[in-house]
Amino acid sequence: MSFDLNFIGILIGAIMASSVPLILAASGELITERSGVLNLGVEGMMIIGAISGFALMVISDNLFLAVIGSMTSGLIISIIFGVLTQSLLTNHVATGLALTIFGIGMSAMIGKNFVGIPGKEFPLLFVNLKENIPFLGPILFGHSVILYFAFLLPFLTNYFLKKTKIGLIIRAVGDSPTSASNQGINVILVRYSCILYGGAMCGLAGAYLSLIYTPQWIENMTGGRGWIALALVVFATWSPIKVLIGALIFGGITISQLHMQAVGLRIPVQLLSALPYIMTIIVLVVISRDSRKIKLNTPTSLGQIFYKEK
Amino acid sequence: MNTKLRVSEISKIYPSCVANDEISLEFGSGKIYALLGENGAGKSTLVKILSGVVRPDKGEVFLNDKSIKLNSPLDAKKNNIGMVFQHFNLFETLSVFENLSIDSDKRNEDLRLSVNNILKKYNFKIDLDIPVLNLSAGQKQKVEIIRCLIRNPKVLIMDEPTSVLTEQETEDLFVSLKQFSDEGILIIYITHKLKEVLSICDEVAVMRKGKIVSVSKTKEEKIETLANKMVGENLSTIKKKINNFKYKDEILKISNLNFSSDDPYETNLINLNFSLKKGECLGIAGISGNGQSELFQILSGEIITDYTSIKFRDKEISKLNPRERREYLMAFSPEDRISQAAVPELKIYENVALNNFKSSNFFEKGLVNEKKIKEHSKKILSNFSVNTDNVEMKSQFLSGGNLQKLIIGRELITSPELLVCFNPTWGLDVGAINYIHETLININEQGKSSILISTDNDELLKLSDRICVIYKGKLSKIMDVNEVTPEKLGILMGGGSID
Repeated sequence: MSFDLNFIGILIGAIMASSVPLILAASGELITERSGVLNLGVEGMMIIGAISGFALMVISDNLFLAVIGSMTSGLIISIIFGVLTQSLLTNHVATGLALTIFGIGMSAMIGKNFVGIPGKEFPLLFVNLKENIPFLGPILFGHSVILYFAFLLPFLTNYFLKKTKIGLIIRAVGDSPTSASNQGINVILVRYSCILYGGAMCGLAGAYLSLIYTPQWIENMTGGRGWIALALVVFATWSPIKVLIGALIFGGITISQLHMQAVGLRIPVQLLSALPYIMTIIVLVVISRDSRKIKLNTPTSLGQIFYKEK
Repeated sequence: MNTKLRVSEISKIYPSCVANDEISLEFGSGKIYALLGENGAGKSTLVKILSGVVRPDKGEVFLNDKSIKLNSPLDAKKNNIGMVFQHFNLFETLSVFENLSIDSDKRNEDLRLSVNNILKKYNFKIDLDIPVLNLSAGQKQKVEIIRCLIRNPKVLIMDEPTSVLTEQETEDLFVSLKQFSDEGILIIYITHKLKEVLSICDEVAVMRKGKIVSVSKTKEEKIETLANKMVGENLSTIKKKINNFKYKDEILKISNLNFSSDDPYETNLINLNFSLKKGECLGIAGISGNGQSELFQILSGEIITDYTSIKFRDKEISKLNPRERREYLMAFSPEDRISQAAVPELKIYENVALNNFKSSNFFEKGLVNEKKIKEHSKKILSNFSVNTDNVEMKSQFLSGGNLQKLIIGRELITSPELLVCFNPTWGLDVGAINYIHETLININEQGKSSILISTDNDELLKLSDRICVIYKGKLSKIMDVNEVTPEKLGILMGGGSID
């Protein structure tokens, strides 16, 4: 019995690990979207973060530098998006798509020389406790510092948006950039900051993939997680806590269906593989049904180009 | 201390027009100043300059004889200039308190205290913790005013403040404005409503085509003198038509019409019943947001609620879509000319074809018969005095008045039995308003019926045979126009009862 419990604990720990990149990227994108900017470049920023983190790790042999570097590179390519959409007033959707295509291509080019190089072991915290406490041990302990940060992030984001002045200003800009501008708020600055923050979080999500989750570089290794993160934000109706729930469900079903495949259940593999997507959407749609709340949480100006009157 | 605000030789030129042409004016506190002019006269540009939203190309602003720079809204705030915009500058999804705290440097507790003091002092009743989208227009305006008052303004600019208010709310606003003025706040009141200028303002500056054409004391002015200064020509006044009720047939009957929506921005309609005779105009008054747009969309078929509530010429049409209803000779002119009635990027003749796409004249075997459509469009342009004969022009380059004439013309040229129009003269200049009004009177005289949903009471009293008021999705009893007064309408529009 204790073996079973421990197994479930390990399973839950694995689920948590697999949802980390989604939580990080979606929390970042959530802030960006709350300011009224729709950045579809999440996948691109994530994969740039993944390759630059891995490359820096190989070159410098310093994991701390690698993590910081991946966040910085995510941030830098989000600047491209910022300049295009905020200063040159291009369409958010088209620019975001271009950013994703750019990121995937760019990462493949940089990554050519890094294929097949083994990763470095990332330090895990409280490994002793993990092994000595059954069930709860593998759930609560033995994770990287980034995982703990990721699980705090939705709560911090929620607090930031609801309780702080800057959070209030971001929501105001997302609601009506024109009104905000007429109130003397620098809309462009706010939106730039949110875009850069989103970029850095996507970079961090990429670093988690290439440095911790599967410590190596594989071309296209984000495998659509950026798109899932984007969908999570929308289906969670811009609520950070629901993003966390959605990411866990997605991670949970992804891992469980792998186990089901391994056990050899007589369900078509294709159906099992599709299950995480279907279930996540269903659950989020069901928990976000309150149309009043949706109205209040949805950034009204999402995706609209803001042009300041002169 | 008395506040003096002076603008000197302000100019602002846009690519398409000269909005402000060397404007010089002086205001002093203790008085209420009216800035009067038609739409497009340049009033809004001038006040946007004063509030730092727009920068002038040339000219200076002096506050108490000191030149001030107004490069951003923050500069205006620093100089204690407050502004209440015509289209509210509020964040609909944030709570009232969040809206107020966003540009305040005070701690939340202190802010709440000072807001509560303002609420008490001026007898405003507003729940601070509900989202702004749940407030009425009058309440939203109060939130904007409170936002200015928190900063102890020396100057308060009100841009077309009564366009969204009921009669009662307007009176309340005037009381507040007098109070502010007595406290030494300089009030600049922008409007195109002549009655308001005479009833509350002390001095009036009239603007026309970007220039100041007259400055005078309101005591020396009358409605007619101001109107002529504003328009720059002598206006012919149209007489209200006299309905001889020569037709008795009922053309439209609405029975037990209900509509309920999950959308918090929409209003539910509750058990509407009315009927319309041939040749009659039914006016529906009310403050915007009380269910007018829902009612319009149900009448036009954009929203289908049920299958039994609308009978038109003895046929049940409730489940028909807008195109099918047009085939039964109904016609519709929606409130928003740009986004609902026409596609601004399309050419005039293309817009004409839009609501006639079943017409066999215009389309043959799936192909567009441009020649026929263009001929038809030219006919509309000349019959309805649209100020161009170029059917190839993009609709967005038409002025509001000309676009409205085109839309009404497009609807009427098929000789419909019923025209439903929603705020047909909203935002138009006096000349265009007169034309639209004459047209609406004419169709009644030809035995066609109309439903006029409008927020302009003068217009309703002039054009309707019978009037009712919509309030929170319910209709008041329908009254003969002769027994209706603006006061009665005001009471009903605010949810009161007149029996």
